[in-house]
Amino acid sequence: MTWQSEAQVRDELLDMMSQLAGDWEYGDPITPETRLLGDVGLESLDLVVLGTSIQQRYGRLPFAEFLAEIGQRPVQDRDVSVQELVSFVCRHSGLTAPTRAR
Amino acid sequence: MPKAVLIGLDGATFTILDPLMERGVMPFLRHFAQRGVRAKLRSVIPALTPPAWTSLMTGKRPGQHGVFDFFQRDSVDSDFVRLADSRDIGSATIWSLASDHGKRVIALNFPVTFPAPAVDGCIVPGGWMPWRQLRLGCHPPGLFDRLRALPSFSPRELALDMALEEKAIEGCASEEYADWVSLHTRREQRWLDILRYLMQTEPADLIGIMFDGVDKLHHLCWRFIDPAFQVARPSAWEQQISQLCERYFRQLDAAIAEIVDLAGPGATVVLASDHGGGPASDVFFVNAWLEQQGFLAWVADTAPTRKSGGSADQSPRLGMGQIARHVYELDWERTVAYAATPSSLGIHIVDRSLGGANGAGSESYRQIQRRLIDGLRALRHPVTGRPVVEAVHTRDEVFAGPFESLAPDLTLSLADGGAVSILRSDTLLSRRREVAGNHRPEGIFLASGPGIRRGASLPDLSIVDVAPLLLYSAEVPVPDDMTGRFPDEVFEPAALHERPVRTATGQGTLPRDGAGVPEPHLEADDEAAVMARLRALGYVD
Repeated sequence: MTWQSEAQVRDELLDMMSQLAGDWEYGDPITPETRLLGDVGLESLDLVVLGTSIQQRYGRLPFAEFLAEIGQRPVQDRDVSVQELVSFVCRHSGLTAPTRAR
Repeated sequence: MPKAVLIGLDGATFTILDPLMERGVMPFLRHFAQRGVRAKLRSVIPALTPPAWTSLMTGKRPGQHGVFDFFQRDSVDSDFVRLADSRDIGSATIWSLASDHGKRVIALNFPVTFPAPAVDGCIVPGGWMPWRQLRLGCHPPGLFDRLRALPSFSPRELALDMALEEKAIEGCASEEYADWVSLHTRREQRWLDILRYLMQTEPADLIGIMFDGVDKLHHLCWRFIDPAFQVARPSAWEQQISQLCERYFRQLDAAIAEIVDLAGPGATVVLASDHGGGPASDVFFVNAWLEQQGFLAWVADTAPTRKSGGSADQSPRLGMGQIARHVYELDWERTVAYAATPSSLGIHIVDRSLGGANGAGSESYRQIQRRLIDGLRALRHPVTGRPVVEAVHTRDEVFAGPFESLAPDLTLSLADGGAVSILRSDTLLSRRREVAGNHRPEGIFLASGPGIRRGASLPDLSIVDVAPLLLYSAEVPVPDDMTGRFPDEVFEPAALHERPVRTATGQGTLPRDGAGVPEPHLEADDEAAVMARLRALGYVD
């Protein structure tokens, strides 16, 4: 995987989300602060598939755990911003996960 | 002009199509069948959309391609369930094989094609592709924007709306039927419009399109389309729904006629379904049976989803939206076997060696498996006294192959084609208020084109035989590792003599993207907590 700066990842995800938002006739600009559920109107299944697309681009990521962490928050905070997504990708892309043991 | 065209009709069965052809509702299909060959097409086990279409596209069975259900265990040692996608297919598909041999392809609305493979041609994925992200699924880049310029292009009506999807399986209110059937009629037209555009602007050698409304109408509207269920004095509402269903099939017939016309006389056209369909009323609460037999225990604070003596209008639910319940509602200290999803008809035996406190060790696995099989075979319907479970298939019997370990340990075939519910219940069997459609193993196969016999009705073919036929028709060598055989009987002997089948060395099992990559460490309790949190998010119910 080619190393990328956080700014590059942010630009790419903003571009992708802006393109998608245009398809939904979402009128406001997509910014790092835009929330995917509350502002854009994504549903939970959308987040799962969005995770697949992001992993296609950045490699295998612990996306289910990321969703789980969001789900653990208080109801009013149960959302994810574009910047959070960027930080998550940057934090985990290229990392070697520890061996799973059960 | 294309060399081979696949028109997929999800769930299509001659039980429904033959009467429609005889009544003149589908005149072109009748003509097509008369000028070519027809046969029943045996599906795989389970006869379910994702594994069956993947078998048709790969010429291999689920244990060899790795797709068993709508959902997928993340790894052998995981109880984590996620949506199956194209990265789970561990085998070459007809689309990638044709592309690798210099052919161009178009594939529209087939399941498990997202993320789209990098073929030479165009792919618009189907299955559980959310409409909001259809752009991300289209291949090549830029295709979505070109399609968006079409007057009838509507991602919302082309791709998945989960709420609508669930209605096909779980049912809906009577006032919703008309809009629901009409939506599927419009939806097929929108896919046809895309295909027409691409055939005119993106010439391809191998073309496929899948119409999934057939299966959807079967599930919800079986009683309106099977002549055996016609009532003597239908209500105005029943007449309206019957007419809307008939309109759907008339339009589908016209769509098939147009595609065959666009393909031209030089193309081989195959119509195939992934499985068939039939009426079904019974619902078997498999986890309730496992609990009754002492194989499964729920955590103390979960109440039965369905109680005996409930209101008359309470139709049993299967739990399609509740696929992760097994993780957070089961008492893993006391559970040996469980059903994870209603769609797979599968039972998993907990593997103690992977960390479960209970479950089966290598020494007790066969014993537990035997007790489950014997118990399921002995189960009788309380009203008819007949067996509830027609057959119990073991994993090594039906899923032999490199991905066998990801499959359920046991897979059921229910006696009347009935459905399984994974929900907690204090009854083992329930009956739907209205008969519904459910899957059957016998789908359809129809073919016409150069060298194909005319007016022949053949013995059953297997769904894995279709890929070799399509590759041959597209002038692509047939890999020698396909399970499916080339069905010589479909062709005139002289045609095969003139252009024999070419074979090539198969690519074997392909690495599945992400497969083998270790997951972050999760203990069983943590995993249960993860799924509970996903529930809170709405990812699972």
